[in-house]
Amino acid sequence: MDEWKPNPAVKPHKKRSWYLAWKYKLMNQRALRKLCQAGAVLFLLVTVIVNIKLILDTRRAAYEEEEESAQDYDDETLNVEVPRHPVSNKKVLDVEVYSSRSKVYVAVDGTTVLEDEAREQGRGIHVIVLNQATGHVMAKRVFDTYSPHEDEAMVLFLNMVARGRILIFTIKDEGSFHLKDTAKNVLKSLGSQVAPFLSWRDMWTFVGKKGGEVYGEKHAKSPALSTWGDPVLLKTEVHLTSVEDAECHWPDTELNRRRKRFCSKVEGYGSVCSCKDPTPIEFNPDPLKDNKVFDVPVAVIAGNRPNYLYRMLRSLLSAQGVNPQMITVFIDGYYEEPMDVVELFGLSGIQHTPISIKNARVSQHYKASLTATFNLFPDAKFAVVLEEDLDISVDFFSFLSQSIHLLEEDESLYCISAWNDQGYEHTAEDPSLLYRVETMPGLGWVLRKSLYKDELEPKWPTPEKLWDWDMWMRMPEQRKGRECIIPDISRSYHFGIVGLNMNGYFHEAYFKKHKFNTVPNVQLKNVESLRKDAYETEIHRLLGEAEILDHSKNPCEDSFVPDTEGRVYVMFIRMEQEADFTTWTQLAKCLHIWDLDVRGNHKGLWRLFRKKNHFLVVGVPASPYSSKKPSSVTPIYMEPPAKEEGAVAVPAVAAAEQT
Amino acid sequence: MQKINKNVVLALLSLTSLVFLLFQLYYYKSYLSQKNGTIFSKVKGGQSGQDSTRWHVIRKFLGLISSHNIPVYLIDPLILGLIDKDIEQIRSSDGPSPECKYFCAPRDFTTFALLDKTWKHEVGLFRTAEKMGFQWLKVINKDPRLDGMDDLFGIEIPLHYIFKLASHAIHLVVFYERSGNYLWHGPLRLKQHMDRKFVPFRKLHFGRYPGAYERPELLLVSIDDLKVQIPKNPSSFLDEMSHSRFLECRYREARAFFQLYPDDASLDAVEFRKKAKSLLHLAVRTLNNLGVKFWLSSGTCLGWYRQCNVIPHSKDVDLGVFIRDYKADIIPAFQKAGLPLKHKFGKVEDSLELSFQGEGDVKLDIFFFYEEDDHIWNGGTQAKSGKKFKYLFPKFTLCWTEFVELKVHVPCETLQYIEANYGPDWKVPVKTWDWKSSPSNVQYNGVWPVDEWDDVIQIY
Repeated sequence: MDEWKPNPAVKPHKKRSWYLAWKYKLMNQRALRKLCQAGAVLFLLVTVIVNIKLILDTRRAAYEEEEESAQDYDDETLNVEVPRHPVSNKKVLDVEVYSSRSKVYVAVDGTTVLEDEAREQGRGIHVIVLNQATGHVMAKRVFDTYSPHEDEAMVLFLNMVARGRILIFTIKDEGSFHLKDTAKNVLKSLGSQVAPFLSWRDMWTFVGKKGGEVYGEKHAKSPALSTWGDPVLLKTEVHLTSVEDAECHWPDTELNRRRKRFCSKVEGYGSVCSCKDPTPIEFNPDPLKDNKVFDVPVAVIAGNRPNYLYRMLRSLLSAQGVNPQMITVFIDGYYEEPMDVVELFGLSGIQHTPISIKNARVSQHYKASLTATFNLFPDAKFAVVLEEDLDISVDFFSFLSQSIHLLEEDESLYCISAWNDQGYEHTAEDPSLLYRVETMPGLGWVLRKSLYKDELEPKWPTPEKLWDWDMWMRMPEQRKGRECIIPDISRSYHFGIVGLNMNGYFHEAYFKKHKFNTVPNVQLKNVESLRKDAYETEIHRLLGEAEILDHSKNPCEDSFVPDTEGRVYVMFIRMEQEADFTTWTQLAKCLHIWDLDVRGNHKGLWRLFRKKNHFLVVGVPASPYSSKKPSSVTPIYMEPPAKEEGAVAVPAVAAAEQT
Repeated sequence: MQKINKNVVLALLSLTSLVFLLFQLYYYKSYLSQKNGTIFSKVKGGQSGQDSTRWHVIRKFLGLISSHNIPVYLIDPLILGLIDKDIEQIRSSDGPSPECKYFCAPRDFTTFALLDKTWKHEVGLFRTAEKMGFQWLKVINKDPRLDGMDDLFGIEIPLHYIFKLASHAIHLVVFYERSGNYLWHGPLRLKQHMDRKFVPFRKLHFGRYPGAYERPELLLVSIDDLKVQIPKNPSSFLDEMSHSRFLECRYREARAFFQLYPDDASLDAVEFRKKAKSLLHLAVRTLNNLGVKFWLSSGTCLGWYRQCNVIPHSKDVDLGVFIRDYKADIIPAFQKAGLPLKHKFGKVEDSLELSFQGEGDVKLDIFFFYEEDDHIWNGGTQAKSGKKFKYLFPKFTLCWTEFVELKVHVPCETLQYIEANYGPDWKVPVKTWDWKSSPSNVQYNGVWPVDEWDDVIQIY
């Protein structure tokens, strides 16, 4: 009661009487009293609410101050904690290896790292390389040592594997028929006791450390020629070493850190991971003077062929005038190893979820890669498109730098390509010479952004159309009569043997003998004469100076062209209309050049070299250059062989070189 | 007696709560005033020479950056604001400055910009930074330039760096070039494992939203004895900064849309898209040259929002312009660009609408928008009857976005804008559209007086 001092100046007595009077008044006025009470309660409620609100507000404000990086700065999409594998401190790995006629598998600590029970494939010796410190799989290979030469590949591979790695071997079906002594000795040197005596249809498993101990070996002999050995299952333990022991002690630089990351993950890349004098991963080729393609993005289209990609990127990064910052590698699928290769070289890589199947998958991958390239480099007017199975010539960028302005200025051009379909060892001669051709060779080419954005991208074949992108690009609806510029001697070399439309035989027949320029800094001649009209003048000049060959001889014979050097010769073949390539195809066949479809033509004219002479072939009467034919000369006609097989072969294999 | 007690208790309670309330109000007030001041104010009081600390941190940072050949430029709004006041003086003078006028000004951060393509991401920089005593934080995220594409997964790109030394921090914003000839910086979003208290992130000037900028012209100046690059025209940069918010197209939703309604890949659709794109490019060039601010409206805006592309069956390109930005030279400028006027409805005071004939059958419509207190509207006119229509929109602001390789404006509150125009079912493609009855925000707005028809209904 005493605390109730609305006005301290007022005397207690007075206050009391005031209070009494108030009380009296209230007693008398029940209604008013009730009202006052209600008012007080209401006031109480209000203050309580305001108080609570204030407390909450201040608390929230204080909380916000603490958590200064408030919610709107949190990444909503990525709030899920990435599950991390527990770092195991285990020192011992349990390894299980199974070998049998129809199935092999390898399990490391209960995780299956290899399982192959598919029919009709995976025959031979399966090899797995484990990191001796982490137990991670670094490489997986299968060598079909039932077939010839595969044992050589295996020896090569085993020699590349670093000392100390854990090697696991297992045979599926048959692995000894073409396993020669060299290979057996290598296996013996790894500690295998059985390897020298492996024979027909034996089952065999082996786990050992390269240059060290043997963890286990099991073998089951085949009792008879017609039967297989009993399945064998090897269970063993492998002791892990410390990480330091498993790594090389390279000087601590940025490059070596990349190297270290790479070498601790994968095997089979040879000297790049050797502790002593590893091969460089930075090449620093000479810069190009006045490089017009320094700012042109380079898209490398890749699949899951990491060894190819490794070889390809080495040659690309060694080419003069290369700008690594403009290179992007597009990997079709979530493959780790190609990405490791990309990171080894410090380049940027992008993975693409595969869409559709077979050729359409490649085609969708191309589209995504090209679109992404122009998105990432919005200033670019061009993009260089490469594939993972190409070697790149040392003067690749020099070649493009000298010719790219044509693509910018000459509307009648479709592309610049580094590849001459007809440029074989025996048909290409002049590194400084360029041609205009009506076909689009691909295999290392330059695409104009406007062509892609305005014409190709909007109507690119959709995934359900199982088309080849390059065949589609060659269709008249797309090409619209435009031409590509190509060099006489290719600036790229197609080394891929494994691929979607590729096999060893095909590669041997059509790609192996392709000529590839190795001369640096080639100065191209008469680049200006490659423009639309200038080229016609140039052709007419050439035809005017050309000597006409003896049309009574067989053009397939070597003697058809005289034993001279540096001359220009012309021959005329029959070509009834623009699409009549009967004689040309036969001629191409006997000259051992590309004959699966028509390539390298320009208005019914082909240009190549024979015996170091420039050799022109004119199709009469379809070609406008037919007028150069003297009336006395009868164009040569060559009949196709009786069996018409070309028609089937063309679509099947023509697409092959895109792989 | 009991009744008296009750009253007394009530009175007492009221009093205490009143006292309590006053106390809380007082506390809250003082708290607020403290919060609005610099957070380091307490620290500052304790330490002397705080001002030169900032300068030293910046000097160190610039040294670090130049030793790695990384070209950065100053975009700090506070300092640029100060610089802008005596820009003439700074441009001309080169000698030593008597006092630390700019870099010592009180603030928590100094913001610099970096063009992505001018440097190679290198680890060495951070190593040197650590040796110099900097703590640093890197914010990476998905590359938006690949976002629009199906299923491409690139390496995440760095968007922001923060270098902290003593009580000052440097915020380095990475700008990327994008299709449409503009620079883009990303939002700053912290991942879960990141240190939320590294710096007071809320106070950063960049990073709340992504932003779009023109490529700035740079100027090398000497400020407070430090050589630094700044935008040549700081005031226009600051102006740009205040309207820089960028909206990414909703690529994921667009993909879902195309799953539901497969894209029209017919030759006609391809052709129309090509024409619409080139028409839009021409229109954007023309309006930008005139300095007229515009945004994607109606069908074009819907195309952007719903499918990140031109709607192939929409037959025209629609732009919106605030009537206060109207310029008389719009019509001659378009005519000069090869787009003849097709019709002109309304007048500047009411329901203005221009329509230009593009190549092929594609037409460019420019609707002028009138601002009221609580809404924005544009008008429509039916030529044969002289009837007027009014299309009502809730108020909106403008954001940048990228559309068919152009940097253009769209309403930031796009969803409300589109729902006003197309109703809640805007996700469903409609091929037959009547501009007089289909929109859900159309209102009948009377008839033009017949004597005005010659003026307000002009058809060419």
